[in-house]
Amino acid sequence: MKEKFAKFVKTLPMKIYIILAAVFIFTFFSNDFGLVDIQKTAVILAAGLDRTDEGYHLTAQIAVPKGSDRNSCGTASIDIEGDGKTVSDCITQIYGKTGWVPKLIFCNLLLIGEDTAKSEDIFDGLDFFLRNEYMQDSCFIAACEGTAKDMLTTVSAIDDTTSQSIEKIFSDAAVKAGTTVKSTLKDFAVSYYGKSKSGYMPFVRSIDQNCGADSGGGSGSSASGSGGGSESGGSSQGEEQKKIYYANETALFSEGKMVALLTPEETFAFTLLQGNVFAGTMTAEEDGKPVTLSILSDEGKVSLSVKNKPKVTMSLRTKIRLFNRGVPAPIDDVSKSEISDAVEANATERLTQYMTDLWQTCLDSGCDLFLLNRNLYRSSPKKYAEWKETLLTSADLEIKVKIDKVK
Amino acid sequence: MNKIAPRQLYFFLACIAPLGKLVLLPTQLAHYSANDLLFPAAINFLLQAGIVFLIMLLARSNKTFYDLLVNTFGKIVGKILICIFAAFLFFISFLPILEQKLLVQSVFYDTLPSVVAFSSFFLFSAYLCAKPASVLGRTWDILGPLAIAGMVGILVFALPVTDFGALAPVGVTGAKSIFFSTAYTLNWFYDSAILLLLVGRFEYKKGMAWKSVVFYLIGAAAILFFLAVFYGVYEGLAVRQIFSFSKIGKYNSGVTVLGRIDYLFVFALTLGMAFYCALPVQLGVGCLVDTFGADKCKPALFSVGINLVIFILSILLDYQFAAINTTVNEKLWFLPPVFCVLVPILALLLRRKPRERKVR
Repeated sequence: MKEKFAKFVKTLPMKIYIILAAVFIFTFFSNDFGLVDIQKTAVILAAGLDRTDEGYHLTAQIAVPKGSDRNSCGTASIDIEGDGKTVSDCITQIYGKTGWVPKLIFCNLLLIGEDTAKSEDIFDGLDFFLRNEYMQDSCFIAACEGTAKDMLTTVSAIDDTTSQSIEKIFSDAAVKAGTTVKSTLKDFAVSYYGKSKSGYMPFVRSIDQNCGADSGGGSGSSASGSGGGSESGGSSQGEEQKKIYYANETALFSEGKMVALLTPEETFAFTLLQGNVFAGTMTAEEDGKPVTLSILSDEGKVSLSVKNKPKVTMSLRTKIRLFNRGVPAPIDDVSKSEISDAVEANATERLTQYMTDLWQTCLDSGCDLFLLNRNLYRSSPKKYAEWKETLLTSADLEIKVKIDKVK
Repeated sequence: MNKIAPRQLYFFLACIAPLGKLVLLPTQLAHYSANDLLFPAAINFLLQAGIVFLIMLLARSNKTFYDLLVNTFGKIVGKILICIFAAFLFFISFLPILEQKLLVQSVFYDTLPSVVAFSSFFLFSAYLCAKPASVLGRTWDILGPLAIAGMVGILVFALPVTDFGALAPVGVTGAKSIFFSTAYTLNWFYDSAILLLLVGRFEYKKGMAWKSVVFYLIGAAAILFFLAVFYGVYEGLAVRQIFSFSKIGKYNSGVTVLGRIDYLFVFALTLGMAFYCALPVQLGVGCLVDTFGADKCKPALFSVGINLVIFILSILLDYQFAAINTTVNEKLWFLPPVFCVLVPILALLLRRKPRERKVR
């Protein structure tokens, strides 16, 4: 017993040391447990980027404390704007105007105005966000109609904060439905710096939403919405038209410049070819009447072969089930839910057409959306050197659509 | 004196030694050899594995490196040589400590000044370095499983977003690029120098030589897999993704729902790294203790002194990291091969038994 105790006492300092070292290092490396002094810090939730004659105009949507109103919920925000030759100048101006230290770590949305995206290579603006160690490169990136400033300073009908309302449309559910694509800063930068020099991002639009006086996320007495004196992006929410947002189109980029816009149908075909759709629907026709089919599984692939001449093969295999008819149907049809050959043929024809249109848009715009140059480089640098300038224009297209019907 | 158990040594070789290669090495490899980054890393690992085997053969004598030097060259020359080796260890530890500092500053504390954020590391290091090398075994017992959990967790998070196709086409950067990439990243492969100083501090048992190589190669395989995942996640952006191990997990769709739970694994790895950073300093202090004796407070004084010097240098050179990185890796690249390859090979020639004095 004595020996055991003596042994314990002998090894005690070592044990204490190990425990202390573990606790010390853990607390040391655990940051300040993510605590942010909201009084001194501007927590930027989203940033909108517009090009001006002199450089850039940055609209930062900043989270603010919502006050002591216990009935309020959600996140309140204000929009602060800054101008400068570079994005960094804009941030500095925001710092100077407000005295808040801009914190980008929570910025989860980068919005780029339509004209900004179309006019020049946008990576002179994105450069700041890509270099910034404190910016999450996993943030969503999207283009929008009009200017990013106008889009971010609209009043959302479904959330107190516009950016959070926009982020909702990039949910996994939306992607699985095939109604929208999503892109992150990292993904976009990887394809920009890759051999294909092409990329895509969702294109956000807004539409007016008529709400009752008490409805909508931005309503009530909570001090949300745009504001902030001269930096204000708009007036109080009660006076402004509320909006909802959607992004069923896709902006295509080549060498950092927006070169085309995919229609909702082409976007749907693109998501199908990526193999992302597991809970989507598409509408076909039978005897001129609409029939909605649900897509249960999706195996999409785009392959390239360069044996003699480049050939692109878009293959798609889906499992579909009858979801809904646009006309009254007998109960027998409702219970059987059988898909007729005519519906299947029509669905196949439509999907083929969507894919053909998608390919044509890529050809016309010069956007290597399917990263064919990158894939060719990976498989054969020699053939890549031979075809890199003319790959898209000289490739033949083959489309294979296989639909499996499920009862 | 407590000796390091074989199990503990294997933990070091398989779990702790790889940790130092997670911070800046992936970016450096991507910078020099792009998608061929696995080749220079594999060459360096294989070279080190060979040296590990030779050192384990040397370990059969159960004599420390210092003892072997004294047996061969006598006390004075032996002490000078071990001091030179200690100087190399202090030199080689500097860059990993600066890496660790930048990591803490960048990943964990984005607004707190780096001096404040990282200075407490030296308090910890000063305490650890005053301890004899025999305490390492227990430390590795704890850190080994943590490192495994951290590594597995990070890789599990990163795998769904990895495109291994990014590693193709293989060998496109050319032999010259792979050669320079190998040479300019030698600075991260000093495990053999550490092992050389551990010789005699563990009891050699039959089969330890090949087992050590196997465990070292297991750690190497984990790092090579990590490098493949790293490049598969970042592709062309890999050249600027420093501290990648703390980032590659965040693209997982689970993180959107659960938050940055990958930080748990990052913390586990960082904890192991803190000990790994202090290891060359600790062994260097051990060399000084061998030379000047361990009486009174000498180990503590050496430890505090060396840590103070490194601390001051880390403050003075706060904004010189890029220059130090280039100097150490591209201009002084020949130093690690001398101390981590040549010296262990030559050590095989050292006398195992003390010289017998000739009686006239």
